[in-house]
Parts: sequence; C-alpha cells; structure tokens
Amino acid sequence: MAVATSLTVTTPKKLSSLSSPTLHSLFFSKALSFSPSSSSFLSLRKTLLLSPSHHTRTRRRSFTLSASANPHNYDFDLFTIGAGSGGVRASRFAANYGASVAICELPFSTISSDVTGGVGGTCVLRGCVPKKLLVYSSKYSHEFEESNGFGWKYESEPKHDWSTLIANKNAELQRLTGIYKNILKNSNVQLIEGRGKIVDPHTVDVDGKLYTARHILVSVGGRPFIPDIPGSEHAIDSDAALDLPSKPEKIAIVGGGYIALEFAGIFNGLKSDVHVFIRQKKVLRGFDEEIRDFVGEQMALRGIEFHTEESPQAIVKSADGSLSLKTNKGTVEGFSYIMFATGRKPNTKNIGLESVGVKIDKKGAIEVNEYSQSSVPSIWAVGDVTDRINLTPVALMEGVALAKTLFLNEPTKPDYSYVPSAVFSQPPIGQVGLTEEQAVEQYGDVDIFTSNFRPLKATLSGLPDRTFMKLIVCAKTNKVLGLHMCGEDSPEITQGFAVAIKAGLTKGDFDATVGIHPTAAEEFVTMRTPTRKIRKTNPSEGRSECEVKAVAGT
Amino acid sequence: MESRKMLSEAETNKSADQVASFDFDLFVIGGGSGGVRAARFSANFGAKVGICELPYHPISSDKHGGFGGTCVIRGCVPKKILVYGGTFGGDLEDARNFGWELSEKIDFNWKKLLQKKTDEISRLNGVYKRLLSSAGVKTFEGQGKITGPNEVEVTQIDGTKLSYTAKHILIATGSRAQFPNIPGQELGITSDEALSLEEIPKRVVVHGAGYIAVEFASIWRGMGSEVHLVYRKELPLRGFDDEMRAVVAKNLEGRGIVLHPSTNLAQLIKTEDGIKVITDHGEELMADTVLFATGRAPNSKRLNLEAVGVQVDKIGAIKVDEYSRTNVPSIWAIGDVTNRMNLTPVALMEGTYFANTVFGNRPSKPDYSNIPCAVFCNPPLSCVGLSEEQAIKQANGDVLVFTSSFNPMKNTISGRQEKTVMKLVVDAATDKVLGASMCGPDAPEIMQGIAIALKCGATKAQFDTTVGIHPSSAEEFVTMRSVTRRIPVGTTPKTNL
Repeated sequence: MAVATSLTVTTPKKLSSLSSPTLHSLFFSKALSFSPSSSSFLSLRKTLLLSPSHHTRTRRRSFTLSASANPHNYDFDLFTIGAGSGGVRASRFAANYGASVAICELPFSTISSDVTGGVGGTCVLRGCVPKKLLVYSSKYSHEFEESNGFGWKYESEPKHDWSTLIANKNAELQRLTGIYKNILKNSNVQLIEGRGKIVDPHTVDVDGKLYTARHILVSVGGRPFIPDIPGSEHAIDSDAALDLPSKPEKIAIVGGGYIALEFAGIFNGLKSDVHVFIRQKKVLRGFDEEIRDFVGEQMALRGIEFHTEESPQAIVKSADGSLSLKTNKGTVEGFSYIMFATGRKPNTKNIGLESVGVKIDKKGAIEVNEYSQSSVPSIWAVGDVTDRINLTPVALMEGVALAKTLFLNEPTKPDYSYVPSAVFSQPPIGQVGLTEEQAVEQYGDVDIFTSNFRPLKATLSGLPDRTFMKLIVCAKTNKVLGLHMCGEDSPEITQGFAVAIKAGLTKGDFDATVGIHPTAAEEFVTMRTPTRKIRKTNPSEGRSECEVKAVAGT
Repeated sequence: MESRKMLSEAETNKSADQVASFDFDLFVIGGGSGGVRAARFSANFGAKVGICELPYHPISSDKHGGFGGTCVIRGCVPKKILVYGGTFGGDLEDARNFGWELSEKIDFNWKKLLQKKTDEISRLNGVYKRLLSSAGVKTFEGQGKITGPNEVEVTQIDGTKLSYTAKHILIATGSRAQFPNIPGQELGITSDEALSLEEIPKRVVVHGAGYIAVEFASIWRGMGSEVHLVYRKELPLRGFDDEMRAVVAKNLEGRGIVLHPSTNLAQLIKTEDGIKVITDHGEELMADTVLFATGRAPNSKRLNLEAVGVQVDKIGAIKVDEYSRTNVPSIWAIGDVTNRMNLTPVALMEGTYFANTVFGNRPSKPDYSNIPCAVFCNPPLSCVGLSEEQAIKQANGDVLVFTSSFNPMKNTISGRQEKTVMKLVVDAATDKVLGASMCGPDAPEIMQGIAIALKCGATKAQFDTTVGIHPSSAEEFVTMRSVTRRIPVGTTPKTNL
C-alpha cells in the first residue's frame, strides 16, 4: 500500500530512477512478463497510477484502449465468472465505485459440479459455514460430558438426529444464498445464472448468450479432488460429507489436512467410529510441529483412530454395501463411507482459459501478478482459482483490492503477510505468522515461549483436555514472529493477537498488556520465561539478517 | 530453576553485605494475588521474605482467609467455575435445533458442583502455599498487624503471638463484600456465601448491578432459578460504555432475569415462605436468597494502621503514591486494599512493580492505561480502553464510533434471539483506536489480543489491514468498514444512566 501510494504521486521519470531492486521486481517483473509489449504495459501503468481523476468514463476508456488496442462498446465494465466470496466482493465493490457489473454463477446445489454451484460459493454453501454449523452440533457431545462434571445429569443419554441437523443446516444455506443474491441486487450487480465461459479477452458466453466486458474476473474457486485409485467411485468428498443422507456408523477419512481433521472432529462428536488415514507420521503438514503433535494427541484422546504412514490403494464395496479400504499396511473393513480430503484443485477446466491464452500453472491455478492480473491483460482472477492462500478472508481482500485497482484508480496489492487462520478441529487451532521451523530458517535466532496447561473447565469436568500456546519471538528485535494455539476458543482468541502481530508489536508489548482474568487468552501476555532459545547463526550474521527483515516489516 | 539460581546468588551477596539488622527484608500481610506475587518476586531478587495469611476457609471473615486470596478462593476462580456450570443451562436449550434429543428430565446437582468447586479451590490454596515455599518465602498462618514502621505481629490460630522486624512491610489484605444499612440486612448474604450455598435457591433477589451482581444473576438463572435484579440506576454496570450497558440489560432480560431499574431495597422481612423483600417503590418480592452486591470495602480496619499513622481515605483504602508507597516510607500497599483498580491482574502488576522498585533496583510505576476487563455475565461483556462517553469527554477532536450488531452463527440454527454487539471508538484526527468493547459469547477471550493492539496505540487502519479469521465472531473487529456515527468535538455525553 505504502509503495503504491508513493508511486501515485511520482512522475515516470522519478520512477525510473528508483534504485531498489525489490521495488522494481514487486512492481514490474510479473506484469512485464505477461504483457505482449512493454509499451502497452507502460500505458497501462500510467493509467493505473497517474490518473488524477477518479471514476471518469474517459479515463477508463483510455485504460482499455491502451490495454487491448481494440476499441469497443462493452456491455459491462466488469464481468465476473463465479459468485463466491471473492467474486461477489469484487463485483459489489466495483459497482459501488461506479462500474457496470454482471456476475454469473451456476444453479444452487449443496454438491458442486460442472453444472451446479450457487451464489455464495464454497464458503457459504460447501465450506466454512456448513462446516462450522456441523462443528457446533458435534461439539455438544463433548459439552454433555463436560457438563456431567459440573453437576448436570441426563436421564437418558442425549441422542443425535442427523436429519434434523441437515434440514436446519440446509434451510440456513438457502437463506444465505438468498441474502447473497439480495446483496448483489442491492449493489446493482446483474446476476446471470448459468455457466460462464471465456470466448475472447472481452467476451463471456453464458449458456449460449454472449456478453462483452472491459474486464473479466475469473473467481470460480476450487473443488475437492479424489485421486484415481481402484474403487475411487465409492469415495465421497467434503461436499458430499456435508450433506450425507444418514450419519455414518463408521467412516474413513483419508488425508491429514485441515479439512480431514475438521470432519474427523465432526463425525467423532456425532459418535461415528472415525478412522483417519494419513500418509505422513503427523497431521497438518505445514503447521508448527508442536501444534501438529498436540492436536493429534488431543484428537486421539477424544476417540479418533489415526492410521499413520498409510496410503490408500483401493476401495472395495462388499455385498452388504459396506466399504473396505486397502492401504499399503493392510485392509480396514466395515465403513459406511470413505471420505477423501486429499486436496482441492482450481476449477479452471472448460471455461475457455486455454483458448484466449490465460496462463495456468501445473496444478491448474491461474497465474496472476500482484494485482491479480492474468497473462491476458483484460482478464483477472481472485480466490482459490489462483491458489495463493485459499481462505475466504483472503479472497475478500483480493476482491476489494481488485475493485480498487480497476475502478477507484487506486492500484492495490493484497498483503499476504501475517494472515491468521484457524482449523475448526476439536480442539481447534488458531495461528498467525511463522511456525518455529520457518522462523528459525528466516531469522536464525529465536526465542520460543510455550504453555501447555489444563484449562479451568477441564479441572472440573475431569476430561483430559489441555490447551497449548506458543509464541515465537525474534531474539534480536524482540518482535513476535508467530503465535499458535490449540485448545478451546483458539480461533476467536487469535484474531486480536493477529492485529497486534500484524502491527509489528514486540514481546515487550505483549508483556506490558494486563491480562483478562480468568481466561485462557491471558496466558499469551503472561509468558515470562522462554521455553528454549534457539541460536542457529553466528551473532553477526543473525543481527544483520534480522535487522533487514525488521526494517522491511515496518 | 531460575529462581533457585537467583536465590543462591542473593545469599552470596548478603553474606558479603552483612547488614541483617531486620528479621526480614520484606514482610507481607495478606497472601492473595498481589501479596503472593510481590513476595515471590522479591524473594527472586534475593530478599528474605515472610508472609502471613489467615487460615483457609471458603468464606472470609475476620478469622478466615487463605493463601490465594479473594481471586482464588472467593472470587474469579470459583465464580468462573459456577459460570461454566450455569452456562450449560442455555447450551442445552441450544442443542436441540442442532439435532440433539435430550430427555425432558435434566437434573442439575448443585451439591456435586459445590463439592468439586471446593476441592478445586482447596487444591489451588495448596498450590499457592507451595509456590511461596519453593520461592523461599517463609509463610505464617494468622492475623497480621502492624506494631511499628518496621515491626509486625502475627496472632496465630492458637492465640500465640509472633513478632518480627522487617525493612519493608507490604499490606496486601484486599477487600470484603459489604452489607447495606437497611432493616433486615442480616437476612441477606454477600458473594462469599453465595459461592458456598447449601442449596440452589429457587427465587433470588440480587441487589446491585455491578459486575458481581450481574454475574451471580446469570449463574443462578442458568441453573434454573427465578432471578430479580434490583438496582439504583437506569442501566446495570455503571462506569461501562452506556450502549453496552443497554445490551447487557437486554440480554439479561432475554435470558429470563427480571430487571428492576431505578429501584432500591427498603427492607427485608423473614416470613414462613421465605424472605419478603420490599423495594422503595413499595413492591414486594419473595425470595429464598437475597444477595447484596452493592460494593466492597478495603480490609484496613484490623491492621492497627493508626499506631504508625498510615493514612487511609474515606472508605478506608490505604493511600499510596505511584510506586505503591504509603506516607510511612517503610510501609507499602498493593491490590484492593488501595482501591485503585480492583482486578487480579492489576494486583499482580502492582506486586511485580513493587518488587522491581524495592528489591530489583528498577523503580517502576504500574501503568493503568488500557487495562482490559471482563464481566462474566451470560453472554459476557469485555472491554478495553475508553467508553464512548469517556472518549467524547477526553478527545480533542471528533470521535468515530463503529458498531456491529449481529446474530452469531450458532444462533442461526439454535434459534436463540440474542445479538452479539461489538464496538470500536476511534479518534478521528489520529485514527487511533481509543476503546473496544464486546458483549457476546467468548468476549473475554477475544478481547485479550485486541488489548495488546490498543495498549500499543494501534490505529483503525491497522485493524482494517488485518485479515479476518473466518468464520469467527472476532473477525468482526477487523471488518468494520463504515462509521456508525461521528460525534463532533465539544458534544456533552448523556450521563447518569
């Protein structure tokens, strides 16, 4: 942001005299590599950065003229393909800034496919929202157990009725997709139901009807991916798992990522027999190692069976309809369902990207520059389809940034530093910033503060629940580089700390803050002694590297 | 580990000094949050420390107390345990629309909870004693009294008296709940007894609307009691943000508590059917239990302060300077007995800073700005920094108020009609966030991180550039895009609600 603002008031001459290689590479390299010629890029940049007037038709015209060299009267300033979090956000904001906007989306269904989707997208219909509703429901069984320790007694064991939950969940999804439609309508965004396909850099085909637009935004998201093994047609993905006709008696979940763990927690809470098969020794690759250990232990204590270093090889359906999973270590039988949570893939097939020359990476993600622009200058992409950080709030950030870039004359790059995230496993995880492993690699010398305690609630309930908290601090600058927590309320607790860490605050700032008593969160401001000090680099190297990072971060 | 190392170093130092003209470097009267912290940290700095505390009992009196103090034995901890117990009541209702079929008959066994609560605080009482002894602090059980600027006397349980000299004396005797002066007041109880009742009362009248009053009202309501909250002002929780006070009032009512604003208690009369409570409006309520939560007074009366001339204010709070020193240079005081900001973490801060100042060779003043706090009513309230009214009064320019009132996701299925409300108060000129508050589930947990940001002068822009955690309630704090209202400089806030 700061960079973009300063450049806005800088003349091209001064621009070229800038010496920082970082600045140049940030600003130019990607855009250059995508541009058909440097001259068209320069005019693009000029309009983007130097236009003194906002919202004027002429300015936007000149933008298009220079970018496409093909004057045209377009139906819309922006045509968005895909009405999920990112697409809806970008469209609404673009319309607010005065652009004429249309958005297309597939008809609503709880299961996504080439012909079904729904306004609201993955987050609202097949992700965050339904998932969290199921987490809420499944958490009750743990709460019932806890409540026993607090004097509550049930004449008969509480029973769960899956169909009530699913009916109430689906009613809520219908309500939400309606709300999203209304939001679009109230923002003057034209909603077109159907499958959007790019025909040329300024034309989208929706079920046979053609629409032209100055800019096209691709925000079609991603979809679960099931690897091709014998019997994989019997497997289900997370879409289906959120909308099963009945509660599984026994379920296999393949994968150790956040989706796998969240569903393992859901079905375990609803009293299914849950088996998780992971290829590695530990769950949640990419997370802090201590968090990986801790969450695995806690979930196992709640009754989930982990099969580590086991890769699925085949699924066999037996005569009674039950499924068995064959792995490199053996076969486990009797599953009502086998769910694969082995990854998601961008929805880039059959939407015309190849025909217009939009570059796609090996995983199928659309390649974009820092402004979310694809290799075709009039085509942009945000959200999971670009496979940057696949989180709803990040897609929202990208959507807002794009609307500002295109229609507010404020070129805005999304800022991917210190993006917090949560895993709604049971217990849940919250995290922001670097893992210990990343911090050691990037900074060398770090101090690690940890706290592993039995929460007040568990001392009464008698359950083996624990909470783990961790702060990673740069030894030289005292800046907090990372925060991780696994335990009740972790996602809610982490948000405020994310503000502090994003603002570059130090361990000293944490210590100077008075605790809120009695809470779990207060532990983060009362960690007085480092659990360990890691010294990897020799003193001189460490200092210089740290100082460079610290300066860059401010 | 570290403390032991420092202790041995200190011992070496002392033998070199050879100035042991006092029995102790520090003698602490009162083993609550502040006293224990100050004693331990002073010992860590190498001081020879003694501490006295009354014998343990869940209900405090002139003869009883216990290591751990109000927070551990008669405050935060047992209170929160009961809050957990009471919150299950509402949770069970919410479970049904999530597909759970619960038997019509759900029992709540108060005696079981009470026993487990007492077990837990007894355990913590032991933990505190061990903390002290492992820090090398000498503990005494008995009533402490000041007999000279450098002299204390401890009356032990058996009546024997011990007398010690100390270079410094620290008073950390806390405070105690008060009874209002109305006819029949002896029929009521205070929070001490409320935490240890034999039976769960069917009908309760709570007098007062401070945080203790609304917390107990929520606890009992959650356990199924009929609860009346009687208070003098228009809204509960005087001193908090007025908008949030209104939210709390609405939520308490929504959970089934009967509110009696602008009302005082006139008299309590014992009848066969329970306690007849008469208000100043002439209204009559029948109750099994009447809780007085109208205030607490510092425990300064039995310390013999007059003898050495330590000054106290009108309500009996010990007067101290910014370093927690009384007018007698060798006598210091921290925590509720000084009636500055009566919170456990504040007493801990004062205790730490006292040790730094007196034994750590680092004079340091506690910083009372942006101290977060929480009220564990159901749903809870938490805040940090200024209320809207305070901000308007103190700001040099316009004040921007951002609010968000939303139906938490859980309620979309449970059907519970209760909004979560969040609020940021921002200085328009500097963009600095002056205050944050929230009323809704998990508010106290959510506020802690926000408090760090406020403490360090974070701007609204810094909140806005932080990416949300989805789906959470907390993310609302970083996604408040439009100003709810702008209050021009010079506006006089409406007060005295």
